[in-house]
Amino acid sequence: MNNEEQLLEELRDPQTSRNGFARLVSEYSERLYWQIRKMVLSHDDANDILQDVFIKAWMNLENFRGEAKLTTWLYRIAINESITFLNRKRGQNHIALDDDNSFLINTLESDPYFDGDEAQKLLQKAILTLPEKQRLVFQMKYSEEMKYEDISDILGTSVGALKASYHHAVKKIEKFLSEPH
Amino acid sequence: MDTKINKLKEIDKTKNPFKVPENYFAQFNEEIMNHLPEKEIIAPEPISMWDRAKPWVYLAAMFIGLYVTINFLMKTPGNDNTTENRLANQQTFPASADNTENYWSTVQITEEEFYQYLEEQLIDDSYFDYMYHHYYLN
Repeated sequence: MNNEEQLLEELRDPQTSRNGFARLVSEYSERLYWQIRKMVLSHDDANDILQDVFIKAWMNLENFRGEAKLTTWLYRIAINESITFLNRKRGQNHIALDDDNSFLINTLESDPYFDGDEAQKLLQKAILTLPEKQRLVFQMKYSEEMKYEDISDILGTSVGALKASYHHAVKKIEKFLSEPH
Repeated sequence: MDTKINKLKEIDKTKNPFKVPENYFAQFNEEIMNHLPEKEIIAPEPISMWDRAKPWVYLAAMFIGLYVTINFLMKTPGNDNTTENRLANQQTFPASADNTENYWSTVQITEEEFYQYLEEQLIDDSYFDYMYHHYYLN
């Protein structure tokens, strides 16, 4: 029995589920945090979303049937929560377009937990010009260095389409970076 | 000053510009466990003997019902259609002149009344007029 199967068994037993969940949190919180942080950019927002993700996972453990990997399930919750958060923010900023992430530049610049140099800041601005899904693919592949197969499981997109999407994202970012700013 | 980068590779990936407060993850893990809502542990209800036997009882009842229905239908005279029964019926009612007599013994009107009724029907339908014109006038 592998580690994930052991953890699942622990989570399903009402007597051990709380301990199992503590193990799950310590194993996945960091990875999920970085995924969320790269999407919403601000530390405070990422922290709030991460809390919601784990509360949702805890409340819906009974609905997890083990058809996907536990990691995949958690990533899906994290991505859904992040997208919901961004849509809410866009609504508050009266932005109609789903892919317009320009408001996040201000978030990045005012975040005390961002200390990137000019090049890093420029890269983040370039990433924000990408459409939502392309940005997601780029972050998962470039920043998190995830395998295409794992990204495919999480996003429900074929490996071929992901490779094409990543390739286009890199081209767009390099074009943005090569322009004078 | 303008910042121009030609390739993504020129950016140092090992340097993460995003920071977290000190000891953040350890504190987060502790905090989330403290704030985790209690879940009601629902003990599974014990299954009674009747609950266990119920499907078998229903199945048995269904077969008994089916058997009784088939038996009832087989014994209904109108549906007595097996070869043996047909032969038996033929033996009971042999093809003879007695059949007519047997038939009239079952109806409520007399034979005369029946022919009278038929004649009235034919007159009503002008059948006699047609026959008269067809055979006697042509």
